[in-house]
Amino acid sequence: MRICIFEDEGYENLYPLSLTRPVFELKCGQVTLKERILRNFPGVYVSYFLRDYLTPVFSQDKKEVSVNEMEALKNENILFINGRWLLSKGKLNLTGEEEVGICGEETLYLRATTKTIKDCFSLNFREFIDSLKQKLKKKEVKARLVNYPWDLINNNCWALEEDFEFRVKKDVQGKLPSSATIYGEKDRVFIARSATIQPLVLLDSTKGSIYIDEEAIVFAHSHIKGPSYIGKKSQILGANIGEGISIGPTSRVGGEVEETIIHGFTNKAHRGFFGHSYLGEWINIGALCTNSDLKNDYSTVQVYIKGEFKDSEATKVGSFMGDHTKLGIGCLLNTGTIIGVGSNIVTAGKVLPKFIPSFTWYLNGKFYKGYGLKQIIETAKVVMSRRKVAMSSEEVKVLEEAFKITKKEREKLIEKSKR
Amino acid sequence: MSVEERVKKIVMQQLKAREDEVTREARFVQDLGAESIDSIELMAAFEADFDIEIPPEEGERVQTVGEAVEYIEKKLKKL
Repeated sequence: MRICIFEDEGYENLYPLSLTRPVFELKCGQVTLKERILRNFPGVYVSYFLRDYLTPVFSQDKKEVSVNEMEALKNENILFINGRWLLSKGKLNLTGEEEVGICGEETLYLRATTKTIKDCFSLNFREFIDSLKQKLKKKEVKARLVNYPWDLINNNCWALEEDFEFRVKKDVQGKLPSSATIYGEKDRVFIARSATIQPLVLLDSTKGSIYIDEEAIVFAHSHIKGPSYIGKKSQILGANIGEGISIGPTSRVGGEVEETIIHGFTNKAHRGFFGHSYLGEWINIGALCTNSDLKNDYSTVQVYIKGEFKDSEATKVGSFMGDHTKLGIGCLLNTGTIIGVGSNIVTAGKVLPKFIPSFTWYLNGKFYKGYGLKQIIETAKVVMSRRKVAMSSEEVKVLEEAFKITKKEREKLIEKSKR
Repeated sequence: MSVEERVKKIVMQQLKAREDEVTREARFVQDLGAESIDSIELMAAFEADFDIEIPPEEGERVQTVGEAVEYIEKKLKKL
């Protein structure tokens, strides 16, 4: 038996977060969507299907797994799982009847035997899945599926609590100074042995669990509410951390954040508020940058998805930012703002537009191409080297491909700015 | 208006420079105080005014007012 985690066409709705990674490498709770699926099926062989240009980076350090290999699917019973599914514990069994699990219009999983796979086989993965869907009997399943970026945020508190339960170690192993306080249940707080908690830290577990991972440092005067996750080697710089926070690894957070997911190596070190937001990797947020996550009229928030504004049907939506983007000091982000990968923002004091394409310089109210992709990559390499990480040639190629994909939307706004 | 006159007018507007400062030899960064942001805005202003495309790697090589005049004149001849 094998499982196969796949990307479907839903990845585009998750731009810019999914421009540089497969959808199942997005985070929710303490872990990625992929890890959430895998921990339900320990020891099982795994295949992945994802966009071709992402495979070299994804395959790094994964020699034992199969990536985009149709041949690997031929001779086994297989459980195919949609990579956008926030799979909860006990929700899906490895073995069982042949069927396709659906949630509304979306395919959640397909369970098929070798015989059915042979009958439906095609070298084109999409066609193969479509053929299986036609053949297998359907089963309606209620599920948490990530359709849009805000779904990751809206499920984060739930995911954090489930992840805390999954962990074996759940207590205070590191040192807690006498002036630091756990307010709430002590068994809802985990502090790793190598984590550092400075004096005058308040850990509030009254509404949820708090997990502080290896080598994290929580500086004095930080206030952390659960549920929250402070990732490995991350630093909380006297910050006010509201509930629903996932940070790191190796990220630095100051100011005020709530209901926000921050990938690794991202810095939001200074004062300023971010709420209901998702920040990719290697982002730098300048001092006093703040996002709105609630409109003054309390109406639902519109977000720019696939070239048009989509009603999120939610009143609390923050901002979504691709990898390697930089915000200069004092940027003000509107409710439901999308900023692409590798963009560079310098504000003139006004609220930013709700959509800034990837690899764009937004300066004083206008869009520019800036110094181009080459310079963005050079800057990214400098930023990464400061954390002793080298950008691989495969990662450069992903950025080059993302640059091509976003060319049209970027050039449209740059041209408009010239008029 | 000649290309040189138009270039100088744009430079004065974008970099808030006086007419006597904007000589052909004047360097955008060292003499006229252009920050990296100003340089991007300046190149975009040339693009808009002359209706040309300046690739970032070519724009980076244009360091003085005179180089901008020569670069734009060459570009316009190719059109």
